[in-house]
Amino acid sequence: MAEYHLTGPLTDEDVTQLRVGDIVYITAEVFTCRSRLQKYIFDEKNTLPFSTEGRNILIHNGPIIIRENGKWKLMSFMPTSSIRFEKWGAKSVSEWNLKMIVGKTTMGEETAKMMKEKKCVHVSPRSVSPNLWIDSIEVQDVYLYDELGRIEAAWFFKVKDLGPFVVDIDTEGNNLFDRLDEDIARRKNKALRELGIDPDYRFTKLY
Amino acid sequence: MIPIQIYEKALLETVKRGATVISDDVREAFEAAILRESNPDAKRGLTATLNSMDLSAKRENPLCVDTGWPIFYFKVGNDCVLEGGFMELENAARRAVAKATERGYLRATMKHPLTGYDPGNNIGMNIPDFTYQFVPGDSIEISYAAKGGGSECFGGTRHRIVAFADGIQGIEKFVIDSFVASARAGAVCPPSVLGIGIGGTANVAANLAKEAACLRTVGSKHPDPTFAKIEEDLYKALNSLGIGILGAGGDTSVLAVHVEYAYTHIAGIACATSTNCMIARRASSRIEADGTVTPMKSPNWFGDR
Repeated sequence: MAEYHLTGPLTDEDVTQLRVGDIVYITAEVFTCRSRLQKYIFDEKNTLPFSTEGRNILIHNGPIIIRENGKWKLMSFMPTSSIRFEKWGAKSVSEWNLKMIVGKTTMGEETAKMMKEKKCVHVSPRSVSPNLWIDSIEVQDVYLYDELGRIEAAWFFKVKDLGPFVVDIDTEGNNLFDRLDEDIARRKNKALRELGIDPDYRFTKLY
Repeated sequence: MIPIQIYEKALLETVKRGATVISDDVREAFEAAILRESNPDAKRGLTATLNSMDLSAKRENPLCVDTGWPIFYFKVGNDCVLEGGFMELENAARRAVAKATERGYLRATMKHPLTGYDPGNNIGMNIPDFTYQFVPGDSIEISYAAKGGGSECFGGTRHRIVAFADGIQGIEKFVIDSFVASARAGAVCPPSVLGIGIGGTANVAANLAKEAACLRTVGSKHPDPTFAKIEEDLYKALNSLGIGILGAGGDTSVLAVHVEYAYTHIAGIACATSTNCMIARRASSRIEADGTVTPMKSPNWFGDR
């Protein structure tokens, strides 16, 4: 497993070299979104009020940003769970020409398929460490603040060597957590047997 | 009579401490997890999380960006008298949450469930949530818990009625299946503090599970050996799975397993789980009848555990 320090905007070559389990740090101009933004664009048929060209890394995140002395101050940052946005995952990858999504957990099969086709990866954090990240993030701008509110708006960040993140979906369509699932399932059967419980245990059906 | 300004100030301080300072027992559990971790990536992740949490106390910023559902527990002396009464206590708690949000200790996370309307202060219908327990005496203990979205939304909280025919094996199978599913890809932010409620109606079991996850001293044992054994067996079983920090592999998948119980109906055993995220945020304070406020290391909700 290798470690990469990538600079955005990312190219196909930057991301096709990555494999699940690799560690990445990013220096780039990025943007954030949560459910409301994707619903606003893809379900309610609005147009994204900015270009993602030159800003092809999306961070699933609702930061805490307060206004202090006429400037935005980032209080806290932690990628949020991407799996909740699976409904819009493939569309966001293809329509926004993303090369990387940063988020907790992972994405589902439809998004992974689109990521393979469009050459995009998903990366996730291995710690809950906002204070090790906020010093690497400069708040540049915000879009859709009035429409979506402070948490769900699209924030523009300039990030410097932000990481480490682990690649959990690569451009071959592999998912790190699918591999881990097999190991966990095997260990689970062993743990159940040690408790005297048959792994194929059937509950008395009450409903 | 305890004046409004005393308990309102204590409420705000407790909310702020809960949001920004890691509890001693959680810190100890983290240090132990770091020491025994054999997976270098997981060790690095646990260490980074602990370092960030220590910085939060210094910088007075939230331990995690998701500052969770605001939940209050009041352990009230039967002879406790508050200026303005208990309705004013709840109003003061709402004001404390709004102020903590304005100051950036909390994110404006609470929104209307259907329209998505964000009041911007975490105050709305039935939120914050209040739970009371009555005990002898004239003081009041206030606990604030922040229940994170990850820990609550991905199946970390669920229930099942287990038949008496299935008993402890059924309960343990349900808990292990639930935890494995909910911790996939780190959804519930493991290593978790796993609360389990056994007995009562489904809501009683669910409340006990939540209180066991949020209010027990992390790693404490149930005084009844039957329940202590379930805690110990599940702690060992779940930590043998290799789920690790944020689900990417590691030796510690749960920081603790806490079980609480209620008597149940002869028809079946309600069993509920509630996972708390690794940060397990909460803070408590005790206010004496003379207005003296003392921060508490642990909520004391279940007595000495």
